[in-house]
Amino acid sequence: MTLIDFTNLLVSALLLAGIYAVMSVGMTVIYGVMKIVNLAHAGFMMLGAYFALELFQRFRIDPIIAALLAFPVLFFLGAAVHWVLLRRLPRSDEPTLPSLLLMFGLWLVLQNLGYLIWGNTDRSIFTPRTLSVVSTVRLAVFIAAVGCLLLLEVILHYTWFGRSVRALIQNRYAALLTGVYEDRTAGIAFGLGIGFAGLAGGLLGSLYSFDPDFGRPFLIRAFVIIVLGGLESISGVAIGALVLALVETFSILFVPAGYQLAISFGLLALALIVLPGGLASLLAKVRRVA
Amino acid sequence: MNQTGGTLLRVQNLEVSYGAVQVLWGVSLSVVRGQVAAIIGSNGAGKSTTLNAISGVLKATSGRIVFKNEDLASLPPRERVRRHISLVPEGRQLWPKMTVEENLMMGAFPPKMRKNVKANIARVYEMFPRLKERRSQLAGTLSGGEQQMCAIGRGLMPQPELLMLDEPTLGLAPKMVDEIFQFVRDISNQGVTILLVAQNVNYALQFSHYAYLMETGKITLEGPGESLLSNQYVQEAYLGSS
Ligand SMILES: Nc1ncnc2c1ncn2[C@@H]1O[C@H](COP(=O)(O)OP(=O)(O)OP(=O)(O)O)[C@@H](O)[C@H]1O
Ligand SMILES: [Mg+2]
Repeated sequence: MTLIDFTNLLVSALLLAGIYAVMSVGMTVIYGVMKIVNLAHAGFMMLGAYFALELFQRFRIDPIIAALLAFPVLFFLGAAVHWVLLRRLPRSDEPTLPSLLLMFGLWLVLQNLGYLIWGNTDRSIFTPRTLSVVSTVRLAVFIAAVGCLLLLEVILHYTWFGRSVRALIQNRYAALLTGVYEDRTAGIAFGLGIGFAGLAGGLLGSLYSFDPDFGRPFLIRAFVIIVLGGLESISGVAIGALVLALVETFSILFVPAGYQLAISFGLLALALIVLPGGLASLLAKVRRVA
Repeated sequence: MNQTGGTLLRVQNLEVSYGAVQVLWGVSLSVVRGQVAAIIGSNGAGKSTTLNAISGVLKATSGRIVFKNEDLASLPPRERVRRHISLVPEGRQLWPKMTVEENLMMGAFPPKMRKNVKANIARVYEMFPRLKERRSQLAGTLSGGEQQMCAIGRGLMPQPELLMLDEPTLGLAPKMVDEIFQFVRDISNQGVTILLVAQNVNYALQFSHYAYLMETGKITLEGPGESLLSNQYVQEAYLGSS
């Protein structure tokens, strides 16, 4: 392997990590605030991808812009889903069976809606950029992804809403005690999570072809990333995304590309066995030893 | 400025259950404006449950929580914070990955209180200079005593008329215990009405104008602090003298 090959792989891993982080961060926020594992995440990613496709086909809107537009639309959809369904779930500090079943059911509903509306043929978004040599799509996707992540980080740290989100994540009891309006904060947080799912779907849709089952393999990747990154931290998600992207990218040197998902699964199993606290616990351990 | 008189808080026949298990059985107590009231009792008696019900984090199954002639029982916690009631909870319950200053800010979360945030943080820093030094440190990295100061500081942020403190000296070194009680005295001297739960019975009774003994979810004895202190039953069961 030449240095150029190596650099190429490194760059593509980095570009991939951006979008992986976007698709996982929504799940992390939702889990952190509501302790709900959003099994329907893939469904909302699929909606984001078709949303971008429709805007592109009907109005010739650039797919990256369309993906960014998917964010607010999916945000409101998410907030509505929270208002209608999730608000009624019993509160818990751990994922509950009813919440898992509800989210799984929601995924099936979304998926079948997708089949109903768009049929089961593969779709893809082709622009002149898609086939250009220096993959500008990937770069644009990366910039959009990182920009949105930074925006989220700023919101979480410098607004009252952001602080109330972190308060609910870190200590729900204390958050309630100081007057955080849980239903409202959780509704907005769920909307944000779904917005990020839509954005990720839209961005991925301009890289890969998709059908209404789109998102399933990415859901598994999101699990890996969240487990690696620790369940409740945003910077953890970025690191987890980077690790997975690096492993997947460099693994094509050793195993056929078709086995990539097996690699994700292997990493998931490994992480659960060796690092139940995520990479952060590893760092803490290293620091303690050093 | 230590004006007393008039009942600020009156709890009547409070009943609270965790699921199917009832833990409070008709608790009644009242706190006079400007005074310090204490609840003592052994582990599991229901002291924390009582404070949590007053702050609204736990819903009462029945009973009244009357604060300044208004029944709060059906209001969510945020409405009670808005009425200047705050609780410094057992175990401090800070947000470990937020800075000291963010923890304090969150104490004044209700929108109407946010405009006073700066002034109130300054007041807290004046009282606890050590918090000011550590304002940008994560709360989880503070020592136990500093965490307790941060928790009390957070409780002061809504400019409480009623400040409830749940075992504020739990797990602290003796010197720190004295320090914390001195802070509580200062806060009381500023005119804040205090409802204190303390496992340090001796301290709590010397400290309070009026005290309640709680046993298995009921108030079994009440009276001025000194009178409970000299009560034979309290001495035998809670002060370890015979
Ligand atoms: N979250 C909970 N779920 C179920 N039961 C609980 C819960 N919290 C407290 N209890 C029970 O309610 C009773 C009263 O508990 P509470 O914490 O109010 O006691 P306490 O007087 O504060 O005790 P301590 O001095 O140990 O803090 C205990 O029997 C306890 O086991
Ligand atoms: Mg207690």
